[in-house]
Amino acid sequence: MSQRAERELKRVRRKLKKKNLKAVNVEAAGKSIRLSGSAGNWDERVRAGYIAAGHGFKGVINDITVDGITEPEMSLPLVSDEMLDGREFDAVIVGGGVVGCAIARELSKMNISIVILEKEADLAMQASGRNDGMIHPGFAASPGTKKAHYNIRGNRMYTELSKQLDFELKRPGSIILFKTAWYKLLLPIFKARCRKNGVEGSWRSLSAKEVRRVEPNVSPSQKGGFILPSAGIVSPYRVTIALAENAVENGAEVFLNTVVRDLESADGKITGVVTNRGTLRCGLVINAAGVWADKLAEMAGDRFFSIHGRKGTDAILDRSCAPLQRHIVGMPSLLGTKNSHSKGGGIVLCVEGNILLGPTAEEVPDREDYSTEPESFNNLLKQLYLNTRLNSSMIINYYSGVRAASWDEDFIIEPSEKVSNLIHVAAIQSPGLASAPAIAEDVAQMAVRALTSAGVRVLPRADFNPIRRGIPAVKDLTAEARTALIKEDPAYGEILCRCEEVSRGEIRDALLSKVPATTIDGVKRRVRAGAGRCHGGFCLPRVIQAMASELGVQVTDITKKGGDSAILIGETKEEAAREAAV
Amino acid sequence: MKQQYDKHRYDVVVIGSGPAGMAAAVSAADSGVSVCLAEREERMGGILKQCIHDGFGLIRFKEKLTGPEYAWRYEQMVRKRDIDFMGLTFLTGIEKRENDFKIAFVNPERGVFEIEAGSLVMAMGCRERSGRQIFLHGERPAGIFTAGQAQDFINLKGFMPGRRCVILGSGDIGLIMSRRLTLEGAEVLGVYEIGSAPSGLTRNIVQCLEDYNIPLHLETTVTEVHGKERVEGVTVCRVDENKKPIMETALFLACDSLILSVGLIPENDILAPLDVDIDSVTKGPSVNQRQETSVPGMFSCGNALHVSDLVDYVSESGHVAGKMAAARVLKREADSGQMVIKKAGILQYAVPQNISFPVNGQVPVFFRPSEASDHAEFIFRQGERVIHKKKLSWLKPSEMHRLELDLSKVRQDGPAVTFELKPEAVNE
Ligand SMILES: Cc1cc2nc3c(=O)[nH]c(=O)nc-3n(C[C@H](O)[C@H](O)[C@H](O)COP(=O)(O)OP(=O)(O)OC[C@H]3O[C@@H](n4cnc5c(N)ncnc54)[C@H](O)[C@@H]3O)c2cc1C
Ligand SMILES: Cc1cc2nc3c(=O)[nH]c(=O)nc-3n(C[C@H](O)[C@H](O)[C@H](O)COP(=O)(O)OP(=O)(O)OC[C@H]3O[C@@H](n4cnc5c(N)ncnc54)[C@H](O)[C@@H]3O)c2cc1C
Repeated sequence: MSQRAERELKRVRRKLKKKNLKAVNVEAAGKSIRLSGSAGNWDERVRAGYIAAGHGFKGVINDITVDGITEPEMSLPLVSDEMLDGREFDAVIVGGGVVGCAIARELSKMNISIVILEKEADLAMQASGRNDGMIHPGFAASPGTKKAHYNIRGNRMYTELSKQLDFELKRPGSIILFKTAWYKLLLPIFKARCRKNGVEGSWRSLSAKEVRRVEPNVSPSQKGGFILPSAGIVSPYRVTIALAENAVENGAEVFLNTVVRDLESADGKITGVVTNRGTLRCGLVINAAGVWADKLAEMAGDRFFSIHGRKGTDAILDRSCAPLQRHIVGMPSLLGTKNSHSKGGGIVLCVEGNILLGPTAEEVPDREDYSTEPESFNNLLKQLYLNTRLNSSMIINYYSGVRAASWDEDFIIEPSEKVSNLIHVAAIQSPGLASAPAIAEDVAQMAVRALTSAGVRVLPRADFNPIRRGIPAVKDLTAEARTALIKEDPAYGEILCRCEEVSRGEIRDALLSKVPATTIDGVKRRVRAGAGRCHGGFCLPRVIQAMASELGVQVTDITKKGGDSAILIGETKEEAAREAAV
Repeated sequence: MKQQYDKHRYDVVVIGSGPAGMAAAVSAADSGVSVCLAEREERMGGILKQCIHDGFGLIRFKEKLTGPEYAWRYEQMVRKRDIDFMGLTFLTGIEKRENDFKIAFVNPERGVFEIEAGSLVMAMGCRERSGRQIFLHGERPAGIFTAGQAQDFINLKGFMPGRRCVILGSGDIGLIMSRRLTLEGAEVLGVYEIGSAPSGLTRNIVQCLEDYNIPLHLETTVTEVHGKERVEGVTVCRVDENKKPIMETALFLACDSLILSVGLIPENDILAPLDVDIDSVTKGPSVNQRQETSVPGMFSCGNALHVSDLVDYVSESGHVAGKMAAARVLKREADSGQMVIKKAGILQYAVPQNISFPVNGQVPVFFRPSEASDHAEFIFRQGERVIHKKKLSWLKPSEMHRLELDLSKVRQDGPAVTFELKPEAVNE
């Protein structure tokens, strides 16, 4: 170990002691720093993790245990078969989030075989389906970080991408509000950061009067603000699905309900990807496993970092609120200071016209803890004060997502130093959605390099088709176009979801698309059936029936989100008796 | 009844064919105007189609009918008249013009099309409040249903939503579903109600819970849902007088489903672009004694106007709205003035909310108290002049009252009109 490393270990020990974290052990583990021992509670464990960061190690591995808390394992799919056994792919992407799907789409420009393995019953079931959908302007991340770099590039790429892949992108811009005049002192820093990071658009400061002019309902106590016009919004799961569908159109394959359980290695190389559906052969593995990326790294014998889950809760307001706010607004996200690891939070707009509050930030032991609880929810509601016309009775839904944070709080995007055919794309927390297209470009290059050096001849695919068409929202068509469509196929004229005006035809399309929906939630994410104010109260029975008859399965086979989440548990006595009598 | 899809103009168009809409269509047709009844589902009947228990029609038909039987009677009345019924037809927009309306629909047969209407009757019914609207927390598994969903699944589709059920909220549909689930062999662990009194009818408490030994827990709520994929249980907790959970009383109940009966909201979102005045208590439009909304020519009835406990009242309000909508077309005469009716005492709401002049005859007035009271007096006065008084007993917010009042006694140039519900201390 270098003297410098020794010195840094000592410093970390000292700091831990000062914070009374006496039962924590510190050691070097390869190029990383590893914490072990125990802590009194989860907060202390978290504090120790952050103390170990920023000391020049490649990564922080936090193995501290907390009495009475066992970190839950990942949830597993129910299926078990041999469907994939023996199949071989040049690139195996583990994780069907926005990052994995963006990489798949980028790689599908090449003449290689690609597969996405996703353990959930649909794409974007973890962080990529549970976030704010914001394409950050690239202001919040500290200059020089990977976050800042990829965010700026990714933000720019979204304009073209939204046209190619047929998903909606809006750029309402965001305003950082100043609660007191004191914040104006930060303006030079804000501007310097915009310049350093390369934030696009004509960002500028706004006087209190200007704030009220551009955003009339903002709380009158605001003393001014800073506007970042390049801030955008998308539907994050629609982006993820669009990326994957375009990859599929260009030859990639997607397997859902497929979990990578182990990696077989020989001579510093992964030779087999062990799943619940058999063992695959691979040229290369891309670790885009979100909150579980450190576990995947461990399977390959290369765990040089660890992930901790940070839950964020969001609330969605009714679409009828759309006229009440034009920009994304928030409080200053305090310039990356160590202990403010959440983005300040605020009021975000959604492409569908809803307004979104959030997110909160809370460290959680369960990386799949998507529950909501009153305390953080009530904190979230406090953000409503930013807009005088909004109130909590307008909320139609809320949910939580879990960020995959490393202790260094920056993205990890690099080929493994230990395993020649593994690339880590880990710790992709916010602004991961905004950054995904740019991350994918670089990862694709890394992948091509790795495959080439392993002797694979990688060439651009001559027939790559960058265009993907989504399912058109029939209600947004012109009356003529809608009528023409209905005359051709009356299913588009039968409304099953009344709040969002979704037709039977669109629900069928969701079941027949390139990466088809197989669950109630999958249908909802693709065509919004059940996403409105009545929360599926009216359409759920209708959608289930439509799905069962379209898919040729039993109504009782339809699940909310895969696994054990069947909506109905069986037939009624009368129904059973009727059947028996026939 | 004719099925005629090429007509573009009707005197009266009724939106929604539940009991309110069917009654409105019938009474409008009986006034001799042309009528179109538009319904987004295939068949008439609205929510009654799924209410297979009996108890409907005691007032209207003097008989105990099931929901589908009640609906069928009205359907026959519609079919006997010259009313154009359009099924699978979804209203997408309303434009108010100088003297009439232009309404946009979509259906599988015609695509997007427009119809002109002299006047409009809005009878879209109500929707159920969801778990999100009462800020239900915890995990988000399958197995959480509104009582209406459970009713639809069991009664119309023949499927069970769960085998061990907890009912949250004591609304009538929840009570009725407690019984239904029990009859279907499911175990209903209990009905949990955050308030200090049940929100459903006493009749339903007796016939649906007590008769089946299903416990009702007042001042208790569900604070957390457990289970990642399917409901595995809920935490129930007693609440204090501010409805805050008392955490020491938390209790885990293993169950596979949670059924919500936490309120109904009149379905009026389609009216938002027209700036129709909405009563913040009923969540339906404010109407005058003709059930006309603040938009002249647009009438409201049934559960879209305010949520009723009895379908008989729903039909009655449909009849009024249909008749008045027809009268509007036959005799286009501007009102000579309007007066807002003030509320006083323990009156939660009263419908109508306004009086339009000229007024003639008796009109039904519906109201609910804001709190329970053994005895109270309903006072209808203009200024200090009492026009009508009535003593009432055993009032509860969960039970709606109906009175017939002679509004023609109100003087247009007089002071404000007030409906007061005055609780009475009785000395026995
Ligand atoms: C509340 C919240 C708000 C946010 N807001 C924003 C925002 O506004 N803008 C923004 O840019 N970013 C935002 N983010 C961050 C953003 O959501 C993430 O950066 C991004 O979604 C990460 O994508 P991913 O593909 O890396 O991860 P994920 O979407 O989590 O995908 C990883 C996938 O891998 C699968 N997986 C894991 N292990 C295995 C295995 N062994 N086998 C098979 N499959 C496996 C998982 O099931 C999962 O689907 C937010 C995050 C949260 C939580
Ligand atoms: C889920 C549920 C269960 C109930 N169960 C009971 C019960 O068991 N017992 C009881 O006494 N009462 C019950 N009620 C109360 C019941 O609603 C009333 O007694 C009565 O049915 C109300 O009649 P209505 O005509 O106002 O509304 P509904 O019966 O709801 O009829 C409204 C009609 O309007 C149609 N509609 C709505 N919007 C549009 C549009 N945009 N375009 C075209 N058509 C439209 C609907 O499809 C529906 O057919 C229940 C209510 C609900 C919501």
